[in-house]
Amino acid sequence: MAAPAASPMLLFTDIDEPGLCTLEVYERRGGYESLRKALAMTPEEVLDQLKASGLRGRGGAGFAMGTKVSFLPKGSMDKYLVCNADESEPGTFKDRELMQKTPHMLIEGIVIASYAAGANCSFIYIRGEYVEQADALDAALHEAREAGYVGEDILGSGHSLSLVVHRGAGAYICGEETGLLDSLEGKRGNPRLKPPFPANQGLYQGPTLINNVETLSTVPAIIRISGEEYAKLGVETSTGTKLVSVSGHVQRPGNYEIELGIPSREIIYGLAGGPPEGRKVKCWFPGGSSSPVLTADDLDIPYDFNSLAAAKSMLGSGAVIVVDDSTPILDVALKVAKFYRHESCGKCTPCREGTNWTVKMLERIASGEATPMDLEIMASVQEHIIGNCLCVLGDAMAMPIGSMIAKFRDEFEEHIEAARMARGLNGSAGSDAALAAQGAFDEAPETHLAHHGTGDQAPGAHEGAPGTHRGGA
Amino acid sequence: MPRPESKMINFTIDGREVSAPEGAMLVDAAKHGDVEIPVFCYEPKLGQPVGACRMCLVEIEGIPKLQTGCSTPVRDGMVVYTETERVKVAQQSVVEFLLINHPLDCPVCDKGGECPLQDITFGWGGGISRFIEPKRHFVKPLELSPLIAIDRERCILCYRCVRFSQEISEDYQLVLLERGAHSYVSTFDGHPYVAPFSGNIVELCPVGALTSRPYRFRARPWDIEGAGSVCTLCPAQCNVTITVRDERALRVLARQNDEVDDGWLCDKGRFAYQSFHAEERITEPLIRDGGQLRPVTWERALEQAAGALKRAGANAAAIAGGQSTGEEGHLLARLMREGLGSPHLDSRRAGTLSLDAHRALGAPALQANVSDLEFAHAVLVLDTDPVNDASILDLRLRKGIRRRGLKLAVASPGPSSLDPSAALSIRFKPGAGAAFAAALSAALGASAELETLCGEAGVESAAVRELAELLRGPEPQQGADSELQPREVVILWGERLTAAPNAELGAGALLGIAEALDLANVEGAGMLEVPATANGRGLREAGVLPNAGPGLSQLQDAGRDSAAIAEGLAAGELSALYLLQCDPLRELADRALWERALAGASTVIAHASFLTDAINEHADVVFPAEAYPEKEGTLVHPDGRLQRLRPAIARPGSVRAGWHVIAELALRLGLDFDVLSGAMASRQLFEAVPFYSGLTLEEIGGRGVRWQEREAAAAFPAPASAPSGDGSFEEPADPGEAAGYRSVWDAPEVEHSPAFDFLFKTKELV
Ligand SMILES: Cc1cc2nc3c(=O)[nH]c(=O)nc-3n(C[C@H](O)[C@H](O)[C@H](O)COP(=O)(O)O)c2cc1C
Ligand code: SF4
Ligand code: SF4
Ligand code: FES
Repeated sequence: MAAPAASPMLLFTDIDEPGLCTLEVYERRGGYESLRKALAMTPEEVLDQLKASGLRGRGGAGFAMGTKVSFLPKGSMDKYLVCNADESEPGTFKDRELMQKTPHMLIEGIVIASYAAGANCSFIYIRGEYVEQADALDAALHEAREAGYVGEDILGSGHSLSLVVHRGAGAYICGEETGLLDSLEGKRGNPRLKPPFPANQGLYQGPTLINNVETLSTVPAIIRISGEEYAKLGVETSTGTKLVSVSGHVQRPGNYEIELGIPSREIIYGLAGGPPEGRKVKCWFPGGSSSPVLTADDLDIPYDFNSLAAAKSMLGSGAVIVVDDSTPILDVALKVAKFYRHESCGKCTPCREGTNWTVKMLERIASGEATPMDLEIMASVQEHIIGNCLCVLGDAMAMPIGSMIAKFRDEFEEHIEAARMARGLNGSAGSDAALAAQGAFDEAPETHLAHHGTGDQAPGAHEGAPGTHRGGA
Repeated sequence: MPRPESKMINFTIDGREVSAPEGAMLVDAAKHGDVEIPVFCYEPKLGQPVGACRMCLVEIEGIPKLQTGCSTPVRDGMVVYTETERVKVAQQSVVEFLLINHPLDCPVCDKGGECPLQDITFGWGGGISRFIEPKRHFVKPLELSPLIAIDRERCILCYRCVRFSQEISEDYQLVLLERGAHSYVSTFDGHPYVAPFSGNIVELCPVGALTSRPYRFRARPWDIEGAGSVCTLCPAQCNVTITVRDERALRVLARQNDEVDDGWLCDKGRFAYQSFHAEERITEPLIRDGGQLRPVTWERALEQAAGALKRAGANAAAIAGGQSTGEEGHLLARLMREGLGSPHLDSRRAGTLSLDAHRALGAPALQANVSDLEFAHAVLVLDTDPVNDASILDLRLRKGIRRRGLKLAVASPGPSSLDPSAALSIRFKPGAGAAFAAALSAALGASAELETLCGEAGVESAAVRELAELLRGPEPQQGADSELQPREVVILWGERLTAAPNAELGAGALLGIAEALDLANVEGAGMLEVPATANGRGLREAGVLPNAGPGLSQLQDAGRDSAAIAEGLAAGELSALYLLQCDPLRELADRALWERALAGASTVIAHASFLTDAINEHADVVFPAEAYPEKEGTLVHPDGRLQRLRPAIARPGSVRAGWHVIAELALRLGLDFDVLSGAMASRQLFEAVPFYSGLTLEEIGGRGVRWQEREAAAAFPAPASAPSGDGSFEEPADPGEAAGYRSVWDAPEVEHSPAFDFLFKTKELV
């Protein structure tokens, strides 16, 4: 086992300091000094620092923050800053700790970023389940307002910023930036078509900067040590430090701050202690449940954006989920697929139908009603989803499922055989199960319907008798 | 507001160079090269594309991912592929995804045969299904409303219906509930989707998920034919296609004409076709005999009517209702003036307007058209309620506000459904529209009378000043761009503004407003009158007025207007009354007076479709009238567009053409109109009205022609002197009645369409 890496700490420096969530302790630890420093610079200078830092978005897509800020049009129109605190990707729990333990760091980051972006109106969109964290933010915000860090003419700089903590109602899709904006506007949280991008037409059609909690929380550190110094941390295309949420079959799950570019093995084995005694890593998600899985062979890949992309996966939100050899791959696939089926907003066809279909096929594998041909279909369904959806939630299921089928095909096939044996369908014509499931041929139409009626629940069941045909006047 | 201009650019699609308007979405641009890109959710009428269905994916050189053709604007030099292997696979997979949970019950589906899902499956689908899981199920079909059934299993969740409700009609009732594969269309609490424009969603739905309950299971597409017509149930005159089976109307669909209706219909226009075939419809001539109306032969009815008219002579009077064509109106006027020597003829609801005022208000330069409503900087809705008076204009105003930045002001005596969208809403006293208009004119002209007029109109002068400012717009900046756009303002006003007793005051005020805002000289600015009846404008232009002949020509002697006709009948000074598709008790001002008038008339002759109050109790001779899809003739849209009616369905019973009946009567009075066909009647009308000169039915065609845009418009008569509008406001005797606001549903066609029973019966709706 490798020794834990001695990472420089930027976000978690004093994270367990009692009372860090209060203004008093935060200020004592140097809090809001970066804001003073930033407000003494011009917005352009602050933006230059952000660009120089090379900081890439920590919410999932890894887009360079400075570049995103520079996309906002100049001019006097109303501009918005929105902090994405929806943190719903399975395995991801880093923003939670930041908001709970050091909410002022986020607020400070937001004020600095708003100054650079010229935004005067900002929101933190936090998932509804994060009650404690939202309360911590509200309390911190109250203090920050009282102290003049948020509000009109902040610290006499002339810059003003309103900040509102908005609690979501618990939908993963509201973490997708445009779905978030619709939800924030009071609409159903469905992704919007892009372009236009939020930087041009976001909240209430105004230019909007959207960043993740961790991204914005990093801003004060960048201002403190300078963008150039920050960029010296990590590796060239992935600068700085990153919070990783390690979960699953590891001995010490939790959030760790690492310097980007360290070997993945150091995270899983070094920091998190690896799987329980006697078990081996079967596969791992490097960046949340939507990243294609990697295997034990990939543990030496450096943990940074480009190296993971080169390995056909992604760093995503930095959530490392470890699966050991005690867990059948089918269970993992089902868990993932069911999550995305549940969270698909339903707006676009491939995701709505593809996630639903995939779950049904996986369930058939589990119940012994599938044949190896179903694996082909399932793989092709994933291909038909990827790249064809309105947002990337569809891909978020199709990529990991596709990778599991590709990397664990043998295990799937064994599972299919074993489950069929258990059902007593061994050896006979491969299409038995298919035909049975189709309910075709020898069933009367009524039973056919009844049989299918056990499918998804029918909303509106209260609204009339089933099958009542009304012919109109 | 500047209207979109289209510059042509060149791009390549499937290897061919094609030119298309810059900025057009690829699916539209592709059509210029005869390439069809399949779509489900894309419908330009609904505004911005949403990219939901993913059917339109195409490959664009230089962009790694497939792109949605419905939301990608074409650019010069773009290279697009729609037939590559990648695109084909994507198209097939979207079709497969859409079908996996679709019930495929085409044999019993109303949409079968005219279904985009069928067509696209055939054209772009893979032809096989790999889905063997249980399908998704919903209880079905359900009443979405008394008019619309919803089958949620057939729904492909294209969002069209929801977008219509949210962004076009803005009734905000339809939503998608639940998420992902469980999503379904509904009102949020399951209440019935009842709204003035609800039926449009049936036409928008690309599958059989939304069906018209009156049409369900009535026909298959191969049983039916479509016949173009124009709805005459309100002045908006939307263009329609009547679905005809065995000479009966089974359905009414929109026939998109952007200059008129943008491709929408209101529910009255869409569903009231049932009245054409209602049992209660009058289909034979009737004569009152022993107090009862009894069927008789045409010969007897015509004889009796001719006899009565002859006896009355110059003491006969006539009123034409708004569903009469210009031709019928013209022949009726000839019958009265030439055949009987009677000048007593009207088509207006309440009171005379001077000939000069008619001419000044009708001046071609002052006329706005329907699309001006959308592109104007500001529109004032003045003493009219579009949703009730000319329904489809309500949607046009909403579109202007939503998509073009139109600023709307509403000035009316009662709440308007447009209030929530308006930048300013002002309420004046019922019946005081003319005083309000005069106040606005005074505010625009900085006249000292403002306060007095505001008092009479019952409004604060500050509100009127604010309105004047809104219409004038921001002051041009000093030294700003010299090419500053002139401000386009449209006044959409209701005919009631020029009703008795303040007709001249109202007209003068309108002209004052027009003058102050320079409406006659600014391109895109103007006035648009909403007449009280569907063809109100056409009838006036045809000379169905007490004080004007065809083409608003000067008459030797003016006759009585509708109110004076009523007084004359009540007082015994007039004897016979000829009603051309008009029930005075329902449609004209002062019901009490009309009760007395009808009781006092010696003979009442009526062309009517239903035994409404006046007809049932007072008519002595009834000619069965045609419903509009049976008619041949022309109408004039409020903006001057002549539109053509062509027979689409058979006339029931022994119904005869209106022009024919009038011509027959004339013959019996010794007057030969020399009209043997509808076309001949039209030709006479076009010859009689100088500013229609040279028009032909062919020229009017299916889209209509605005006479103001033809050369003959120069022949429009100028007023001898502009009406001054001086004179003081006189409080109407019964202000509410005088205003004459009526609901969109207040029509015999609605009452006699079983589909609308739910509006009249108090019963549980679901
Ligand atoms: C389905 C979906 C869910 C997402 N959920 C989150 C989330 O919970 N939190 C987050 O910060 N970003 C989430 N994202 C990414 C955001 O769309 C967006 O890229 C991010 O907020 C940008 O911030 P960043 O540049 O700071 O990473 C999600 C994206 C998708 C497609
Ligand atoms: S990919 Fe899924 S979540 Fe995203 S828009 Fe489509 S249906 Fe909604
Ligand atoms: S009901 Fe029809 S229009 Fe509405 S979403 Fe479904 S398919 Fe589209
Ligand atoms: S037509 Fe383009 S996504 Fe539906």
